[in-house]
Amino acid sequence: MTETPLPHGAALTLLTHAPAEAVKDLAEALLPHLGEVRVLSNRTGLVMLPYTDSAAGTLFHLGEVLVSEAQVEIAGGVPGYALCTGRDLVQALAIALLEAALRAGIATDTITAFLHAQAQQQAAADATLLQKVEATRIDMETF
Amino acid sequence: MYVAAKGGEEAIQQAEQLYRHLNGPLTLELVRAIEQQLPYLIDRVMGEGSLYAPELAALALAQTGGDLYEAVLLLRAYRSTQPRLAYAQPVTPATMLTVRRISAAFKDIPGGQILGPTLDYSHRLLRLDVLDGTAPAETAPVALAADPAPATYPAVADWQRGQQLMPPLPPQPPLEPADLPDITADNVLFPAPRAHRLQALARADTGGILSLGYASMRGYGLIHPTVNELRLGHAEVQVTHPITGAAFSAGRVRVSQAEVVTSGGSKEAPGLTIGFAATLGWNEVKVIAASTLDMEMNQPEPHPAHTEEFVLYHTEPVEASGFCIHFKLPHYVTFASSLDNLRKVIATFYSADQPAQPAAAQPMKQATP
Repeated sequence: MTETPLPHGAALTLLTHAPAEAVKDLAEALLPHLGEVRVLSNRTGLVMLPYTDSAAGTLFHLGEVLVSEAQVEIAGGVPGYALCTGRDLVQALAIALLEAALRAGIATDTITAFLHAQAQQQAAADATLLQKVEATRIDMETF
Repeated sequence: MYVAAKGGEEAIQQAEQLYRHLNGPLTLELVRAIEQQLPYLIDRVMGEGSLYAPELAALALAQTGGDLYEAVLLLRAYRSTQPRLAYAQPVTPATMLTVRRISAAFKDIPGGQILGPTLDYSHRLLRLDVLDGTAPAETAPVALAADPAPATYPAVADWQRGQQLMPPLPPQPPLEPADLPDITADNVLFPAPRAHRLQALARADTGGILSLGYASMRGYGLIHPTVNELRLGHAEVQVTHPITGAAFSAGRVRVSQAEVVTSGGSKEAPGLTIGFAATLGWNEVKVIAASTLDMEMNQPEPHPAHTEEFVLYHTEPVEASGFCIHFKLPHYVTFASSLDNLRKVIATFYSADQPAQPAAAQPMKQATP
């Protein structure tokens, strides 16, 4: 059964939050379908993370996050882009390839199925974490 | 004054090798073990290093044998080699995946009190059974609640503003993240923009911040802090796709934040007075002490050790530790110059043909009745 494609931003978010090895395996499997691949850039760098002060509403820089970035082109000059936290350049490359494949309409069903499976797994992991958190809800009196 | 030094290359090389030898082998397994099993240590190094990179923080700790200041320096040095690729969208506490959120001020805060992962109410006893080999193989699992906790909670301060316990937030001009004041690029001048102050506190030395904050709490300060809200969570690093403009999250990072309050505002702003701090990683003592200092620095005449300039200049971990340990490096010329002066004084005032009472050479003022 063909699953509904996800919005672009949601798809990228699922890919960056997915286990790196799973994303790499999928990209590796689809590589023969992508034609000639050009890696335009694949590097590490920083993303500055601003934060909102709840006392005065001031925006300020909390600190920087190490990220990996990749820009690729696949057959037909279709671009792909990825930016993910961490220092795994291959993970960024894999996400960029999958993004390019989605845009080019290559293996859409396979990638979409992967994304839906990831959506379920990631939501389940968050739900389990929050069930554990809920177990720590406290109702305490002081006298 | 800085001077060039020469000689000693072989000894320096052997000293480094001895250091590495005594610290044990540096292996990928060690780095992975530190990353997975010492998350709070990793968080502390990342917060002070101002770089969220758990793998690199673990490597820095392994490489330095756990010397925190050396590890922070390694992280800061690495950071300086990396280009800044983007600015994320600002994180707002109310949208953060929250795993711990408590208030010591109000029992019934909206969303309730969630202890989350903590040892706050646990006995602090060494687990000697681990050393004796009699400890259970696995820790007891958390009993899952039937329903998940909410993923997000409103800021307690926002609720208090709704209760007229605090003045409303001043209007904020729209700002692009790239236009925010940034102490990694700007000179810090005093009084500092609030954005500089909060950024400096976020990357400040935990021990330094605790020391100054504790001095305030013990009574040298002007205020008594109450923790209005303490929050630990996971913030999304929300960035923009450079080609399509789509917003997406590049991943999550652990962050902590605290609000502290004290009663008694001013005539202009009656109600509770509030202080705030946040940092990368989970580091509760740092954000509580830092938010206390934030409030203290806002007072009209704080203790000299709680002025903005004093706090920010003396809690920068790399500058403070670097300046401190530089004193162990050769100061032969400087010290020789001091000795020259000392010898001249001795020769002038204490030699055999001079009386040993230099003070007598300058008559003292007579006290007048």
